[in-house]
Amino acid sequence: MRQRRPDKLTADDRRCFEELFLPHLDAAYNLARWITRRDQDARDVVQNAYVNAFKGFRGFSGGAKSRAWFLTIVRNAAYDWIKKHAPEEKLIPYEEEKHGDIISINDFNDELASEERREQLKRALERLPLELREVIILYELERLTYKELAVALGVPIGTVMSRLSRARRRLQEGAEYGT
Amino acid sequence: MDCNEARRLLEACVDGEMELTRQLDLEAHVAGCTACRKAAEAATKIRDAIHMNMPVYKAPPDLKSKVQAVLRKECGSEIGWIPAIRRPLLCAAAVLAVCGLSVAAWMKASSDKERALIAQAVWDHSHSLLVDHLLDVTASDQHVVKAWFTGKLGYGPPVVDLSEAGYKLAGGRLDILENRQVPAIVYRHQDHVINEFVWPAANRAIDFDVQSHQGYSMCGWNKSGFNYLIVSDLSQADTEEFEDHVRERTE
Repeated sequence: MRQRRPDKLTADDRRCFEELFLPHLDAAYNLARWITRRDQDARDVVQNAYVNAFKGFRGFSGGAKSRAWFLTIVRNAAYDWIKKHAPEEKLIPYEEEKHGDIISINDFNDELASEERREQLKRALERLPLELREVIILYELERLTYKELAVALGVPIGTVMSRLSRARRRLQEGAEYGT
Repeated sequence: MDCNEARRLLEACVDGEMELTRQLDLEAHVAGCTACRKAAEAATKIRDAIHMNMPVYKAPPDLKSKVQAVLRKECGSEIGWIPAIRRPLLCAAAVLAVCGLSVAAWMKASSDKERALIAQAVWDHSHSLLVDHLLDVTASDQHVVKAWFTGKLGYGPPVVDLSEAGYKLAGGRLDILENRQVPAIVYRHQDHVINEFVWPAANRAIDFDVQSHQGYSMCGWNKSGFNYLIVSDLSQADTEEFEDHVRERTE
């Protein structure tokens, strides 16, 4: 990496940074929107996240993991926002369900038009507790791997697996009965 | 492997997140256990249903310029300075009303089946890049790649040499489409990775024009009894060109 003045980021840095991270704007907004649930809040979170990432840019080693690194920062910015503006959303610990049960085979109703199916899933997703909502968004939409998820969420891979599993089960139940 | 362990690992397996050796153990168990097989089918169904119907929010059009503005501000200042991004509450209500939910435009595929196939192919492609599982066999010789698939599947898909056209054969891997193992042939072109799925068109022949899906270009056709499905981050024009090269060289 080229030499920089010790405490300032330059216009060159900014151009380089924008080139790397502006392509992830949609992903950042999507994640922030699902965590905060509101458009204006998501916008604020995204802007904060970009500033935070820019400041940490020097600590970033580059390479293929830029997306996961950046989304982790977006997620942290969203949590900061929640702590400040919506502490009631603060993670309520959910009981660990026991694992190894057979998942019911009832599928999403095949007869439903796909529009309707998507609407059902969206509502079920909105009702998920934050810690399950974020894991499914980061995995399904942002394509983080288990390993990247473990780093982003600061939990062991086993917890990633069990949260993902619970999230899916709840989405399935939600889409079947809870609309 | 017993049922408890199998159940614990099923979803990771469905997600393609398991090491190959453990995956083989699990597959061996599932093959001989009806209950676990049903659980695996259920897990696949749930994953696919969620996968295909996931709603996506797109960033509002003006957000990019706002981000650029705060970054410009950041440049001229000390690192420790934190910008006060204020929230104009009055505007928020208006913006919310106008903006609404912009669920990402879903592709205009002709049928649900095709849509599922395309979504799965894109998933396979992006996943192959993410989990470092791009290649099961690394070889630039098309005969070696073809022979490898024949050994695994009992049939060898057409593998063509496109080096003259600038596409370097990197190798192949087994991937999953429509719950079947299918050959994925991997080419590289400059910085781009191209996944070419090729499988017998016995059940259903595919054919669709170049289109864009979640940032990837793709197209599909069938020729001489095989389906071809291309996914890559090439431009749509380059994807068409790639299709022409492959078509030309397959019998």
